[in-house]
Amino acid sequence: MSAALPIPVIQLLQVLTVAVAAPGISGVIARIEARLQGRIGPRILQPYYDLAKLFRKEALAPEGATWFFLVAPVVAVAAYLTVPLLIPVLTTYGLPLGYMGDILGGGFLLALASFLVATAALETSSPYAQLGSSRAKTFSAIGEPVVLFVVFTVALVTGTDLPYALAATVRSSAAQIVRPAHLLASAALFMVILAETARIPVETHSGTNEFGMIDEARPFEHSGPFLALLKWGSQLKQLILYTILADVFLAPWGLASSQQAGSVLLAIVALLAKATVLGVVVAVIDNSFAKLRLFKITEFVAAAFLLAVLGVFTLYLGGG
Amino acid sequence: MGTVQAPGVYTGAADVIAALMLLLEFGMLRQALIRDQIRLYATQSALISVLAVVIAADRGIGDLYALAALSAALKVVAVPYLVRKLLGRTGRDEAAGVAGSYTIGVANSVLGSIALAAIGFFCFNSLGIHSADAPGTALAIAGGMVLVAFGLMIVRRDVASQAIGFFSLENAISLAALVVAAGLPLILETAFLFDLLVAVVVFGMLIRAHHTRSDSLSTADLTKLRG
Repeated sequence: MSAALPIPVIQLLQVLTVAVAAPGISGVIARIEARLQGRIGPRILQPYYDLAKLFRKEALAPEGATWFFLVAPVVAVAAYLTVPLLIPVLTTYGLPLGYMGDILGGGFLLALASFLVATAALETSSPYAQLGSSRAKTFSAIGEPVVLFVVFTVALVTGTDLPYALAATVRSSAAQIVRPAHLLASAALFMVILAETARIPVETHSGTNEFGMIDEARPFEHSGPFLALLKWGSQLKQLILYTILADVFLAPWGLASSQQAGSVLLAIVALLAKATVLGVVVAVIDNSFAKLRLFKITEFVAAAFLLAVLGVFTLYLGGG
Repeated sequence: MGTVQAPGVYTGAADVIAALMLLLEFGMLRQALIRDQIRLYATQSALISVLAVVIAADRGIGDLYALAALSAALKVVAVPYLVRKLLGRTGRDEAAGVAGSYTIGVANSVLGSIALAAIGFFCFNSLGIHSADAPGTALAIAGGMVLVAFGLMIVRRDVASQAIGFFSLENAISLAALVVAAGLPLILETAFLFDLLVAVVVFGMLIRAHHTRSDSLSTADLTKLRG
């Protein structure tokens, strides 16, 4: 028997796990992608080195930018780091702050962070940063209905919209997994995550062509520690979304059901393993499909919308 | 409103297969190339055979295994082969008129079909057929599929897509029959399957005749009378 950890420590561990592991997951995806393309690729730890380098560098702000330009990355990262308090990262049971907000609360925090980054990009007079933030807002607006319908599915299945409740329902029986609504909603959420984390078929993650950029173009004018915060923020967002997909929808197993240090440690390893598996899937998709033309992205989101809507139909109109 | 209870694993699996078939129907609706439509149709037909096997295993109806094999042979192999053969050269080099034969835009037709599916779901579900043997959700999905297949035949203005829409309509009906009346005598089911072959031949001849007349598979120019 290992020692029991106090609840606040576990809660802190949820945030720390996501904060520390996020760049690593990006590194793993970049590495796998490179191997699939026949390149050796960067070290898995490369994102950490990049962040360390940027944190040491001098920060410059474009002329005319106000305090908001510098505050936005800090608040955005703070918002991202609040989300792991609300979702089941390591435990099956809700932690004291876990019921501060439901799925919508988490969604609001993610949206707040993205809004701040986009507004900070508008503070600059760089056309590319503005183009990126305008596009990012447009596409996240059309992705919003999909997320809403996924939340409706969760609500119809569990009667609440707490992530912990859905994870518990999925764990409860195989019948909960093999039902069309659950699978359709999960698939729709996965497609939204592909779009939100700036992956193929919506955006090239490592592209350098500004005209094809959406999310990647927003931090163009930031530098030094602030650029580091923005990069870290998008890595955090990626791991948070993977955690939601894996720990709430697809595979809510391996989470700690007690306060034992051993099972919490196991939960950390399980989370990293699940995120890596998702990362491999994303890397394979990245290598198998072409980037969609900008005006075709709506069709991709429409397909996700179709899945989410049919999920709600099967529950609400189809009774199953 | 309370939560929606999950059906059992078998019923859930049947519902998932039905939902996949409905998704493929949407795929056919927005697919531009005839060979991709035929491929989607073959996949959809394969799924209905899988569903027959699932139901046969669930309820212990031996006849359904035979039906699944027969249906796979006919709808996954024979019908796609025949349609390709009948389309002949026109199918191989993607004859004019199939791609972009929408009367309304792709997005609008998908949205319209979502509404149609909702009506189908609602109507079939309010029939109130809820027994242990008939998964209500799969039946509702079949209802949605019937209407989406009709929608496909209406929005696409080319004979090839309309034929595929008709064949997939038959798939939807088979789905409904399978979930409601799985114990139907094998001879009847087989007779229905062979009815489909007649339809394939008739549609094939119509496609050929239309193509030789107008050098296109589009039905857009059929609105004018010729002397």
